[in-house]
Amino acid sequence: MCDIEEATNQLLDVNLHENQKSVQVTESDLRSESELLVTIGATVPTGFEQTAADEVREKLGSSCKISRDRGKIYFVISVESLAQVHCLRSVDNLFVVVQEFQDYQFKQTKEEVLKDFEDLAGKLPWSNPLKVWKINASFKKKKAKRKKINQNSSKEKINNGQEVKIDQRNVKKEFTSHALDSHILDYYENPAIKEDVSTLVGDDLASCKDETDESSKEETEPQVLKFRVTCNRAGEKHCFTSNEAARDFGGAVQDYFKWKADMTNFDVEILLNIHDNEVIVGIALTEESLHRRNITHFGPTTLRSTLAYGMLRLCDPLPYDIIVDPMCGTGAIPIEGATEWSDCFHIAGDNNPLAVNRAANNIASLLTKSQIKEGKPSWGLPIDAVQWDICNLPLRTGSVDIIVTDLPFGKRMGSKKRNWNLYPACLREMSRVCTPTTGRAVLLTQDTKCFTKALSGMRHVWRKVDTVWVNVGGLRAAVYVLIRTPQAFVHPSEQDGERGTLW
Amino acid sequence: MYLCLQTHRKWSERTYVKNLLSSHVWGVGPGGFPVCFQATEVCICPVEFNPHFVAPVIPKVEWAVFPEVADNLRLIQVPKGPVEGYEENEEFLRTMHHLLLQVEVMEGTLQCPESGCMFSISYGISNMLLSEEETEN
Repeated sequence: MCDIEEATNQLLDVNLHENQKSVQVTESDLRSESELLVTIGATVPTGFEQTAADEVREKLGSSCKISRDRGKIYFVISVESLAQVHCLRSVDNLFVVVQEFQDYQFKQTKEEVLKDFEDLAGKLPWSNPLKVWKINASFKKKKAKRKKINQNSSKEKINNGQEVKIDQRNVKKEFTSHALDSHILDYYENPAIKEDVSTLVGDDLASCKDETDESSKEETEPQVLKFRVTCNRAGEKHCFTSNEAARDFGGAVQDYFKWKADMTNFDVEILLNIHDNEVIVGIALTEESLHRRNITHFGPTTLRSTLAYGMLRLCDPLPYDIIVDPMCGTGAIPIEGATEWSDCFHIAGDNNPLAVNRAANNIASLLTKSQIKEGKPSWGLPIDAVQWDICNLPLRTGSVDIIVTDLPFGKRMGSKKRNWNLYPACLREMSRVCTPTTGRAVLLTQDTKCFTKALSGMRHVWRKVDTVWVNVGGLRAAVYVLIRTPQAFVHPSEQDGERGTLW
Repeated sequence: MYLCLQTHRKWSERTYVKNLLSSHVWGVGPGGFPVCFQATEVCICPVEFNPHFVAPVIPKVEWAVFPEVADNLRLIQVPKGPVEGYEENEEFLRTMHHLLLQVEVMEGTLQCPESGCMFSISYGISNMLLSEEETEN
């Protein structure tokens, strides 16, 4: 216990919000830039651009531009707010914009286009974005230190329903074995949804790095910065590939700055995003994608935390609302909910014991993390896990304010055929537990045909108010926002005997 | 934390009542049957007291069943009902906060008094799945 308290005291100094002070220290060097405004770009789950823009307006006070290049939003902030930008929960990755070309004129031949990119490197206004990058790097250093301390002092956890308690030495081992258990780590990270992504030296994106890697990087003061260029290209009419663009642009950047190119151990990641005629050059501010943040124990279909956040926002939770995810899987949605809407109560349920265990483990991890961060000896979170059957929920009629869940698509989990019975039964049971008039449901599914059919028979209890089309792991899916009508739930046995079967 | 849950069978009116960890939604079946359950391991988990979180819950508690359940768990000083002006009564709120949010059943079983069906609680997670014959009429 005292180890943790000591560590916590150290950590309080490096709390992200405390970084305002460190920002100002740096800023005394850049006195004139204390008013510096920068344009930040953020990648968000496709379809949730508006939700993300709402979060930015709410938390940062800035309005957003939503790019034609789907899944990206842009907003302007002052450098002082940089720390708060990292607290946004609807964004996957952040970058600072170096320059934006609304209507870039590509020349006719490949050689000319690539030559243009080479020339471009020397003409861009790098200095301010690089200052931002430097400030941002100082946040990350502290965050990496904190993560290390976290891993060393995380508490004992219960492993998968067995009696064994895992101590801190085995924490990493436990994570790995869980990954193997679930066979697939996280389908939803499938980069196949991107059009054409390439980096300077034809390797794939290295998103997760070793902790030791990072610390050794920190210890040595790099004399020469290491960098890489990542190019995302989308469009029909380009006569070049992202590989070529990254290579030539990167070469010019290297000549200009005299940096060293390094695929895996880079300090600076330069982004070249090309979407038809829109070209944006940026510098990345995040390394590993933020969407892994809450989940330590993955299942086969774990939802991105950023997507879970977007869905919860669509529910518009009010204080003291009861929010239930009756098919929670690993608990991505309730966990995100408990973190961000801690004045609501969250219940995670699933029929699969493996899933419930994973959810419970993820909750435990979250508790551990928040205990260390808050510096309190223990701190309950308003969330619990139950094993139950969605078609027979052990919940009182009309007791739930919000239902938010990721319905089995019928691809990786369940089957399309099964959905024909499952979806109507779910909707019915959900309508029973949900409070009439004020209750609402936000449901994600890829099997939109089945869902629409099931919903059409439920108009007396559910009214659809919105549909958000999203891209989930390469699959086109929809998030349906439903409001519970004022009609009270009537038990089938009380209705006329004509409707024999349920569906 | 206690959650009094109720299951609803498809065709019959029979309901199950259960107390377990979770929120503060107390309910009881239409017949008003009290729950019987055995707890072999109970844990007191400290939760920061927030009167604004507890107060709205008080009216939702099913007082008919609350004392019985608390008895089963051998808890002491269980209020029989909300006191006059409970929103301002910090002592009352703190007691309810403790009973609703801090007492967790880690291991045990729940039995529905009407049907006799048993549900287990393990590692704080209760298993509310009905068996095959229970789901059929």
